[in-house]
Amino acid sequence: MKVRQASRMRATQSGSLFSWSGAALVARESASGYARVRLAVDRPLPSPAAGQYVLIRSADGPALPRAFSPICVEEGEIDLLIKVSGVLREGLARWPIGSRLEVRGPYGAPYADRISLDRAYLLVGGGCGVAPLLAFARAHRGLVAGAVLGFRPTGVERLVPEFPLVIEEVSGVTATAEARRVWQEGQGLIACGPEDMLRAIAVDHAGRPDVYVSLETRIGCGIGACLACSVPTPQGNRRVCRDGPLFALEELPWLI
Amino acid sequence: MADLTVARLGLTFRTPVVLASGPAGFGAELGEGLGWASVGALTTKTVTDAPRCGNPQPRLLEATGGAINAIGLENPGIDRFLEEILADVLALPTRRIISLAASTPEGLAALIERLDDVEGVDLIEINLSCPNVEGGVIGRSPEAVRRFIGAACGERATPILAKLAGDAGDTVALCEAALHAGAAGLVLINTVRAMRIDRRTGVPFLHRAYGGLSGPAILPIALARVYEARRAFPDALIVGTGGITDLDSLLEMEMAGADLVGIGLGIMIDPGLPERLAGELATWLEARGMDSVEEVVGCAHRGGIGVSGQAARC
Repeated sequence: MKVRQASRMRATQSGSLFSWSGAALVARESASGYARVRLAVDRPLPSPAAGQYVLIRSADGPALPRAFSPICVEEGEIDLLIKVSGVLREGLARWPIGSRLEVRGPYGAPYADRISLDRAYLLVGGGCGVAPLLAFARAHRGLVAGAVLGFRPTGVERLVPEFPLVIEEVSGVTATAEARRVWQEGQGLIACGPEDMLRAIAVDHAGRPDVYVSLETRIGCGIGACLACSVPTPQGNRRVCRDGPLFALEELPWLI
Repeated sequence: MADLTVARLGLTFRTPVVLASGPAGFGAELGEGLGWASVGALTTKTVTDAPRCGNPQPRLLEATGGAINAIGLENPGIDRFLEEILADVLALPTRRIISLAASTPEGLAALIERLDDVEGVDLIEINLSCPNVEGGVIGRSPEAVRRFIGAACGERATPILAKLAGDAGDTVALCEAALHAGAAGLVLINTVRAMRIDRRTGVPFLHRAYGGLSGPAILPIALARVYEARRAFPDALIVGTGGITDLDSLLEMEMAGADLVGIGLGIMIDPGLPERLAGELATWLEARGMDSVEEVVGCAHRGGIGVSGQAARC
């Protein structure tokens, strides 16, 4: 049979995307089951755009790396907000300063590549889903109408001084409920957080234009090959690692 | 420089490192940065007759010494594969192994016919052992293996490989059935059926409860299967797969009798692994005065490696 001409292989998958860079744990502050962590990389990493993520692993951790969306990468240091849960993240919260890790990336589509740039957005974050929204707020101030960043436990405020937080333990109000209250006609919305939160956002904002959710699906290879992070959409399956992590709400009808 | 090439079935593989079916997708996703010069062959994701959307999330779990996946054979189906993907597979700068699966021997024969007049397909792998879909582990009995591989082989010129489970049935009997039915070689082993339970809720994490365990945890199982297959079938092509993440595991797999060594979870974790493995293997051989990787293949069956001036040992 005749097969069509091959498309040119992508040349962009190279450098830091394919090899691990050494990194050292250089700073950490912990509170109420979360930690703000800084890693210094041995060689320069392309600076992730807001919404992109890096994969991190440790020789002392599990075989699989974990994806983290940095708040920023400045002067060779990666600034992360993590929930202390699971072997690697518990290690990041416990291992001595100076501990060695490995990093590769960045991967994923920048949020700004996936959204309409002609309106301002309410940012709605829950838990460590707050991290990429902080990155977005730093990089795209003009696109931010407001931020509702929620955590359950009190004490996290000192880890995230950038915005006033919605602390459920204090106010009894969730980020979702607060977002329902403050969202205004004409605003878009970008949400990142646990799936339960994204489901509630999807119900509240169904049918509205420019509502986007960032998925925290477990990522395997990070380069779009293994399909571990594949999710269904009306246009067929999409890879969170490469086509996402941000999706328009109408692409994920199963959230509702 | 030690010779890493492996010549089998009239094909020369640049190195013994094979990308196993699954984690490497269809190859093009990996792009030019992979270090293709270090890759002996790419095995595509398994292609089925109809498109398959795969399993719902979650599809990937941590496990001690590895990971459990439940991708569920997500693939675009043979029509889209032929129309949109095959050209890119054939353009890869390495040997190409197309992985196929079907639920009946007749379906498999029809599927494989679609590749009959395609030039550039070096080998066809028949996946008889996917633990992530209902009825995926077809190759539990020698009779089933015989029927499927017999249907796949026919008068076909392209050599057929049978991919078998490491945890279903008598490996030697299954391998014998595959080889008698016309398979040119064996791929041992697929991921091992495994599960984890969410302690907070008391229910399995995965929708089908089970997935397939890969990584260092299954290396000893894979080694035993390859070893017993090599002992029983000295001349069969064997691709040893399961738990290869570094030079040590690759060497053990070759010593057990694998002509070629498949990496699965290893490439998912570290896309730089093939290049590193090939480089480290060449250095290891040279340090021992060996001219070719062939000196290592199956040495566990010959009393060990011959290190000049020292007692042979593995």
